[in-house]
Amino acid sequence: MSVSAIGTGAAAILARERWEARRRWSRAALAYLVMLLFSLVFLGPLLFAALSSVKTDPLAYPPKLLSPQLSPANWAAAASLGRQGAGAPLWGGFAPGAAVTFELTYFVPDGLTAEAPSANVPRRRPGGGLGAVQRITYAADYAEVGDVVEVARRAADGGELVTYRVQVGYPGAGPTIDRLPLDVQSPSREQRFVSSTLPPTRLERLGLVASYETITPGALGYLLGNYRRVFTEARSVTTGQSLFLRWTSNTFVYAFFRVLITLAIATTAGYALARLRFPGRNLVFLLVLFAQMVPTQVLFVSNYLVLRDGIWGLSSLWGQATLLNGLPGLLFVTALNAGPVFIMKQFFESLPREVEESAMIDGAGYWSRFSRIVLPMARPALGALVILAFQGAWNDFFWPLVILTTPEDVKTLPIGLLTFRNVYGNSGDWGLILAGAILSALPVIVLFVVFQRYFMEGVSYGGGKE
Amino acid sequence: MRRSGRELLPALLFLLPFLAVLVVFFVYASARAVYFSFTDYDLFNAPAWVGLENYRALFRDDNFLYALRNSLVFAAVVTTVQTAGALVTASALNRRVRGMTFFRSAFYMPAVTSSVVITLIFLWLFQRLGGVNYLLTAVARNAPAIGAFVLITVIAQTLQVWGERRRWRGAAAGSKRAVAALDPALLVVSLLVAAGATTVLGLLGHLAPRGTEAIAINWLQTRQEVPAGAPFPLRAPLPLVAIMVQNAFTTIPTFMLMFLAALQDVPRSYYEAAALDGANAAQQFFHITIPSLQPVIFLVVSLGLIGTLQMFDQVAIFGSAVPLQSVITLAYFVYNRMFPGAQLPEVGFASAAAMFLAALTLAIVLLQRTVLRAEGDR
Repeated sequence: MSVSAIGTGAAAILARERWEARRRWSRAALAYLVMLLFSLVFLGPLLFAALSSVKTDPLAYPPKLLSPQLSPANWAAAASLGRQGAGAPLWGGFAPGAAVTFELTYFVPDGLTAEAPSANVPRRRPGGGLGAVQRITYAADYAEVGDVVEVARRAADGGELVTYRVQVGYPGAGPTIDRLPLDVQSPSREQRFVSSTLPPTRLERLGLVASYETITPGALGYLLGNYRRVFTEARSVTTGQSLFLRWTSNTFVYAFFRVLITLAIATTAGYALARLRFPGRNLVFLLVLFAQMVPTQVLFVSNYLVLRDGIWGLSSLWGQATLLNGLPGLLFVTALNAGPVFIMKQFFESLPREVEESAMIDGAGYWSRFSRIVLPMARPALGALVILAFQGAWNDFFWPLVILTTPEDVKTLPIGLLTFRNVYGNSGDWGLILAGAILSALPVIVLFVVFQRYFMEGVSYGGGKE
Repeated sequence: MRRSGRELLPALLFLLPFLAVLVVFFVYASARAVYFSFTDYDLFNAPAWVGLENYRALFRDDNFLYALRNSLVFAAVVTTVQTAGALVTASALNRRVRGMTFFRSAFYMPAVTSSVVITLIFLWLFQRLGGVNYLLTAVARNAPAIGAFVLITVIAQTLQVWGERRRWRGAAAGSKRAVAALDPALLVVSLLVAAGATTVLGLLGHLAPRGTEAIAINWLQTRQEVPAGAPFPLRAPLPLVAIMVQNAFTTIPTFMLMFLAALQDVPRSYYEAAALDGANAAQQFFHITIPSLQPVIFLVVSLGLIGTLQMFDQVAIFGSAVPLQSVITLAYFVYNRMFPGAQLPEVGFASAAAMFLAALTLAIVLLQRTVLRAEGDR
């Protein structure tokens, strides 16, 4: 070890300081890089699914992030076509008196004579699944396809680009129809499809036929076609109401009452366990702990039977022979939620006793001490409880699956989505499933963005789903 | 005990709603499940006592053996992956930087959405022409570029660290401060150099994507199990692997946040002192982070085991898209025997399986506690 000179020592300190500053900056930069990568990983599937939910076919290979549905130019074209079809630039349609002008451009190589393609309105059902079995009105029965005429021609590399125009009219009277499908067949493979007013839904027979699900979608109808199908295609057998709307309102009602019940039970039971002394208190607390650990599968056999018989006939008092296939049964069985009781007990124990004791000296009874003093102090914990209970109910899967089976009208959203998956998944019609999934996730995501703090508190209580 | 008697009545009134639910839907239900598990019962004829027959029959049932194997493999793999993943990501993110709240919410987003939504999205991603296979294909095709980037980063970092160490030894003799292998200041330079070099090589045409065929693994409609050569209890069917990926993906953020919350309580000075003594990142991780988080690791592993052993939702959602034996778990086995579609429900048999699941969960959680505690005491 040699003793360094004072001058070099000072220089070394300066160098060291610059080095440290550089390290701090680099560390921050790397931290942001890592966090961005993680966000991409964790949010990636959700965002990718959201982007893909507007595609006609989310299984198109190779998958792309952006689809024609996301291009503003196409929205403008779709709006104008919607206006021509039904005077509805937003949601489109095909109404009596409509005259829709649609243009397609083909590439004709040198040495080939351009020929007009042939156009027809096919009798085609919307997508797979429920759309394939419904009774629908076909646009084909009312539409009149005019002659395909050439409107423009310009030179291109190695040939010509020829644009044709076809007019589809709705003469006479009739119903307004949602969709106006169109198939346009090129006279030969060499005369290649290039573009059209709206991009085709798919090119069939090796590019020979440009096929359109509807040529009058309207701007929103074009962008949110799958979302619209979520609401319109699945309808109740008995009332004809949109099933998805029904499931959504069921879920809201279920979540609302579940929040109320959770609040009522968790605060009263939590208070009693935290503050009151009585024989058997430890036993009750032990049961609370056990109830959190025992698998639902152990309880569901008996609980299913109890609900089937209307809690030993109790439910016949209000005219229900069975509690299956209804919200009351679901609310009864999910009221057994020991987690919130545990949380509230812990919270009440953390409150200072003094305030309550002074109220007791003033002669306040148990109930007024609870409702006037303790509950107002518990507001932050109650907020977290409301959010967790809402989220729990909104995402609840097992009990609704067991209890809400028939008819489709009684289901909640998660179980309804399962119906969608069973009906549409097997025919590969994923656009509608993804759209339904994204829609059903929205309320909780909005709630999460607004009340993040409460969700994070929920995490610190050890909550959080698998 | 004078007070305890006096408060009995108000306590009962306060507890009444909860106790009613607890007694009917928990105590009575548990007792009945125990009773049913010793009987032969199909919901239509009265239960007939059969003793231990149901429990014996469990181990002769193919689907039960598949369910048991799947549950155990699933719990072992997912609990390990999610705990390790959450721990590593948490310590990587344990920084005080602006905008942390935003990132935390971003990570937590998959955990607030319902299991149905996430599982449906993954079911779609795991289709034969889905996003997962596409990603694998993209990685395989761009292997030259990725490999070059990694290789150049490693070389640049090694050279820099070597140079710095030599320089420090010369300039500030006696300084204990060594340059860490992953020193951030040098790593940023290495990454930039690698990115630049890879881009240049790519532009020069040296890193053209390989023309490998598109990877089209059949994740769902298959009975294939991995790893292929392993004995039955150690293999996992491919569809179950898909569920493992999905599950780890949704649980890692939740557990990571629990670790992050706990890490905030670990004094910074520990790390600073360790850094002064020349401890590198890995040493800090194993000697400070892990011991300080012992209680939370406990909690996370317990929650993880309970959650994974009782996995049900994903199996029900995958449903007909996969062969039943490839994904069936104990929890789903119980449900399946209670509602077997066209056949008669086997309530007794289902209850026996449910009791087995409860006992297994309890045993594994207790075992885990003993093992982890012993590790912690060492």
